[in-house]
Amino acid sequence: MLRTKPWTPYLYLAPVSLLMLFVFGYPLAAIFDFSMRRIRGASGPFIGLENYRQIFKDDVFQQAILHNAQLLLAVPILVLVGIVLAVLLYERVAGWRVYRTILFAPFIIAIPVIGVVFSNMLSLNGAVNELLRAIGLGFLALDWLGSAQMALWSVMAIIIWHEMGFGVVLFLARLLSLNEEIQEAARIDGAGWWQRLWYVTIPQLKDVTEFYAVVSVITMLAWVFPFVYVMTRGGPGNATQVMELYIFNFAFRNSLPGIASAVAVILFLITLALMIPLFQLRARAEMEGIE
Amino acid sequence: MSEKVLRISRRDFIKLAAASAAAAGVYYWPGSHPFAARAAGEKLRMWWWGEQEAPGLEKWVKDSVAIFEKETGVTIEVTLQDTTTVISEFQTASAAGNAPDIQFLWNGIYHMESVWLGYLEPLNGLISDELLKEADATVLSIYQGKQYRLGWYACSLIWLYNKEMFDKAGLNADQPPTTWEGLLDACDKLKSKGFTPIVGGLKDGPWGEWYMGHALGPNLDTPAEALKLFIGELDWREPRYYEHWTKLEQLWKAGYMNEDMNSIDLYPGMDYFGAGKGAMTAIVVPTLGKQAGMLGAEKVGLMVFPAGGKGKMNNKPIRDLQGLGISSQSQHKEIAAKFLESLHTPERVQAIWTDSKALPTDASWDGNKIEDPLFREAWKNWVANPDSVPYISNLMPVMFWTDAMFVNAQKIVAGEYNGEQAGENAQAVATKWREQNPDLLEKYQIWANDLAL
Repeated sequence: MLRTKPWTPYLYLAPVSLLMLFVFGYPLAAIFDFSMRRIRGASGPFIGLENYRQIFKDDVFQQAILHNAQLLLAVPILVLVGIVLAVLLYERVAGWRVYRTILFAPFIIAIPVIGVVFSNMLSLNGAVNELLRAIGLGFLALDWLGSAQMALWSVMAIIIWHEMGFGVVLFLARLLSLNEEIQEAARIDGAGWWQRLWYVTIPQLKDVTEFYAVVSVITMLAWVFPFVYVMTRGGPGNATQVMELYIFNFAFRNSLPGIASAVAVILFLITLALMIPLFQLRARAEMEGIE
Repeated sequence: MSEKVLRISRRDFIKLAAASAAAAGVYYWPGSHPFAARAAGEKLRMWWWGEQEAPGLEKWVKDSVAIFEKETGVTIEVTLQDTTTVISEFQTASAAGNAPDIQFLWNGIYHMESVWLGYLEPLNGLISDELLKEADATVLSIYQGKQYRLGWYACSLIWLYNKEMFDKAGLNADQPPTTWEGLLDACDKLKSKGFTPIVGGLKDGPWGEWYMGHALGPNLDTPAEALKLFIGELDWREPRYYEHWTKLEQLWKAGYMNEDMNSIDLYPGMDYFGAGKGAMTAIVVPTLGKQAGMLGAEKVGLMVFPAGGKGKMNNKPIRDLQGLGISSQSQHKEIAAKFLESLHTPERVQAIWTDSKALPTDASWDGNKIEDPLFREAWKNWVANPDSVPYISNLMPVMFWTDAMFVNAQKIVAGEYNGEQAGENAQAVATKWREQNPDLLEKYQIWANDLAL
C-alpha cells in the first residue's frame, strides 16, 4: 500500500482553498477594513469605529432596519402559501402542469420589469384603482406606493408574488419524490385531507421548509433592493428605506464607501446571527433522527 | 474693393480652387496636420449622457467623433451612460485608475466632488481662454479660479403654463403671475374652472429638486448663501430658508397640485401638462419640444416661477447647462482637449440644435435665428440672458438630496411634515453630512468663498 505523508491531502486541497479564500475571504476582509476607514476613492485614513457610530445614530438607518424586520413577516406567508399551493397541485387537479407554470412564471420575470409594471398599476390612478372604482369599490382605491402607510406593505405583497413560485416548485418537487404508499396508507386508515396534510405531508417537507425559510430570510434581508429601488426609491419619505438601499446610497451616491461597508458588515452579521440557530436546529434534528 | 480685384478669369479660378482643395486635403489628411501627426493612432474613451433628455444627441456625438477621427486618425470609443450611474461609474473607474479620457459632467457638486477627489483636470491651459469663456460652463464649474467643464447644451429650468387654460380661467395669458400672491390667485381661478393648477411627479425625486431650485433660490442673495446652509454658517430652521417648503405645503393643502403627485415619477407628472391635464409645470429646456409638441406650441407660455422671494435672486430665470471635462488620469489630455475644441466649431454647435433641438450654450451661437418662437424665447431669456442665476440645487450634497430634499417634498405632500418640520429635518441632515464628511467641509468652505459673487 502506498504511504503518503500526513500533509499530502492538504497539499491537494491547497490550490482550491487559496482560490476560495481569495474569492470569498478577500472581499469580506476588505469590507471589514473599509468599514473602519473614511474611504475617498480607493482608500482613506483609519477612523476606528466612527462609521459604526455614525450609522447607529442615524435615524434613517434605524428605519431601514425596522423595515427589513417588517419584511421578515413575509417569510411565514411565503412558506405557508408555498406549501398549500404545492399540495393543491400535488392533488393533480386537471391542468396542474399549466398552473405550476403560471405560478412559477413571476419568479423568472426580471425584477425591474415587475417594478415598472407594478409602479404603474399601483399608482393612484393606475389600473388597480381604476378597476376598483369601476366595480364600485372606490373606497378601497388607495395610494398603494405613494402613501407612507401603504408603501412597504405593497412592496412586500409584490415580493411575495414574485418569490412564491420558487417555493411552490420546491415543495412540489419534494412532494413528487415522496413515497405515495404512506399517503395511501393514511387514506385507507380514514385520514381526511387536512389530517393527511398536517400529520403526513408537512412533516415530510421539513427539510425543504427549513431550506426555503432560510432562503426567504436572506431574500428579505439582503435581496429586496431591486424592488425598492425601482418602485419607490425608498420613499415616500423614508417609508420603504431598507438596508441595501442605505448601502447603495452611501456607496454610490454619497461617495462614502466606508459607511456603506460598515452597514454591509452589520447586515452580514445579522444574517449570520439568524442563520446559525437555524442550522443548529437542523443539526440537532438530524442527530435526533439518527438516535 | 475695386471691380478689378474681383475680376478673376475662369482659368485662375480653377487654379485657385485646386490649390485650396489640395491645401485642405493636406491639412486634414491623417498624419499631415502637425497635431494629427502626433495624435494619429491614439485611442481615447468618452463616457457621456444626454440622449435621455435630448433625443438626437447620440447622432450628434457619433457624427462629431467621426469627423474628429477622420481629421486626426485618433479613435474615440464612445459609451452612453445610464442616468443612475453617471457619477458613480466615473468615480469608481477613477478610483481604480481606469477613468475615461473624456467624461460628461452635470453642473455644480455633481462634478465638484470629482474635482476635490483629484479625478478631473482643470481645463485652463489645455483649452484656450477664449473657448473657455465662449462655451462658459457657469460659475458652478469653477473652483479656485480653475474651470473643470466646457459647456455643451442648455438645461435651464423653466415653468410652462397653458395659455388656453389661463384664458378660460379669466387670467391674462400673456402675463403669467410674477408674485406669490399672483400665483395663488391664478391657482385659485384655475381650480375653480376645474383645472389642476400645477402638475408634477415626486416619486423619483427630481421634481422636488427642481422645486427647491425654483423656490429656495429667490430667497437667497448669492449661490454662496446656499453653501453656507450646508456648511453650518447659516441655519435651515430660519423661516427664510424653509419658507419654500411652507409654500409647497400651502400649494398642496389648497389642492392646487395633482393628487397622485407622490405616486408618479417626474416625466409622467410633467406629461400631464402636455396632455392638457394641468395648467403649469416645471421643465428643463431639452424637454420643451416634447411638451410643446404634445399640447400645441401656440398654447404654451414660459414663465419664471413666482416664488415671491426676498433675496436678490428673486424672479430671475435659472440658467443651467450640461458639460464635458477631461479626466486627470487621461494619458492623452492634449488630444482630449482638441476633441472638446472640435465640438465647438460653428458647424458642430449649429448641429446640436439641428440634430436634437437642444440649445447650444456657446456665446457666439445666435439663437435669434431660431424660427420657433417658443425656443427663441427660451434661448433669449434662459440661455443667453446675462441677468439669469445659477441653479441652487446643484450645490446640495447628495446626502442632502436623498435624506432632506427628497424626504421633505414627499412628506409634505403625504401630510407628514409642515414647512417648519422640513426645515428641522434639513438642518439635521446638514449636520449629519458635516459629521460624516469633515474632509469635504473645508472644500465646501473654499467653494463658498469662490461663489460669494
